[in-house]
Amino acid sequence: MMKTTRVSFEINNEKVSLDVRPYETLLETLRERLNLTGAKEACGMGSCGACTVVMNGVPVRSCLVLTPEAEGTVIATVEGLRQDGKLHPLQQAFMEKGAVQCGFCTSGMIMTAKALLDRNKKPTKKDIIKTISSNICRCTGYKKIIEAVEDAAKKANG
Amino acid sequence: MVLPKFEYKKAKNVADAIALYKGRKGKAVYLAGGTDLIPLIKQRLSTPSAVIDLKGIDELRSVTSKDGWVEIGANVTLFELKNNPVVRNNFPALYESLEATACETLQMRGTIGGNILQETRCLEHNQSLEWRTARGFCLRSGGKECNVVKGSKICFANYCSDNAPALVTLGAEAKLTGPEGTRTIKLSTLFTGDALRPFAVNAGEILTHIRVPAKKTKGAYEKLRVRESMDYPLVGVAVSATGAGAKICVGGVGLKPRMYELKNAGIEAGIKEILDKASTDAKPVANAVLSPAYRKKMVGVLIKRAVKRTIGEGK
Repeated sequence: MMKTTRVSFEINNEKVSLDVRPYETLLETLRERLNLTGAKEACGMGSCGACTVVMNGVPVRSCLVLTPEAEGTVIATVEGLRQDGKLHPLQQAFMEKGAVQCGFCTSGMIMTAKALLDRNKKPTKKDIIKTISSNICRCTGYKKIIEAVEDAAKKANG
Repeated sequence: MVLPKFEYKKAKNVADAIALYKGRKGKAVYLAGGTDLIPLIKQRLSTPSAVIDLKGIDELRSVTSKDGWVEIGANVTLFELKNNPVVRNNFPALYESLEATACETLQMRGTIGGNILQETRCLEHNQSLEWRTARGFCLRSGGKECNVVKGSKICFANYCSDNAPALVTLGAEAKLTGPEGTRTIKLSTLFTGDALRPFAVNAGEILTHIRVPAKKTKGAYEKLRVRESMDYPLVGVAVSATGAGAKICVGGVGLKPRMYELKNAGIEAGIKEILDKASTDAKPVANAVLSPAYRKKMVGVLIKRAVKRTIGEGK
């Protein structure tokens, strides 16, 4: 058994310190050690985006990030979006617009969209399409997802 | 997919990374964005005993202009580079190639150094160990012959960087630092055409910077792919022009990008000669998701499109 390595980072506003395998992916750490199962493993090769979380404000494929690379970073996952019992505008919009079918891509879609809205308060439809095309959805045909992100952006701007 | 065992080391600077490499007796690999390397390790196509993370090296994270060159640190992400005004205003071929690379999320993680040094790809090679074992190993995986061109003792994998052909047309140079010191070479000489050692990079060497002559150019990048949202190039053509001449580079077919020079971008005859030559040189085989005949035909089509857009004769 190879030596474990100690990694500390902040996740959903909570500081954690863990002993992990040096060859462990962030996705494995999130799902298996922290019980944060919102990020999903689908392709495991960085193609689909189902495992997207936001690290230091940037969306990352957590299946391609080694957990030791996350040392000292600030990570947000879909589980941390709800504030004071209230859903994040993106979560609310995904529900209202029917942007969820099987749901497997949803957390990745929402986290990718969150990173977009955090860096660009007023994205155009084109910006949203470009960003969302990083993630694969095989149910909805994207229309409802794009509408949901547009709606969330509108509501966030009042 | 689960990763095999390896050590993780984070380098503080270039010298530290090389020292870490030397301590691992050639069994270590350098990690930048990981968007190419991690899938390779997952598929057991790369089997390092240690991974040396270069992302903490700040000196490789900036784009600077000095002495008539624009120097790009290898750790600059594709997204950062794409949004750099110098790139946007002066190097349209590079800008378009960055825009065409993967998807936005991967552009934010992947680095320019890693994009250039990405492994060549083939449908018979980029598969899991189980798949390759069941199929029978190809030449590159340790088998006796190529699985695509039966009987062949050479590999026909494709070099799928979008950015390298664009940088080649811009006359870029690569700066490498290794155990033997630092050297600067023409980027076009980085590619060997040998599948087992596709880059002229010595053991332990790190690609630290790419430098591009600070001249305003006109240019374009055209890419054949199946999915617009995110795909490797099945053919990629970059064109950059300064004044009357233009440089054309074809990637995505074969082990290395090939460059052609058009002395006067306005002359029809010059283009025809290059079209013929580039189509003859491109020898696609059935190792990608589109047929070889179609890809070969598209080499010429994309050159025409890219040249037309560069010299502004319509779309």
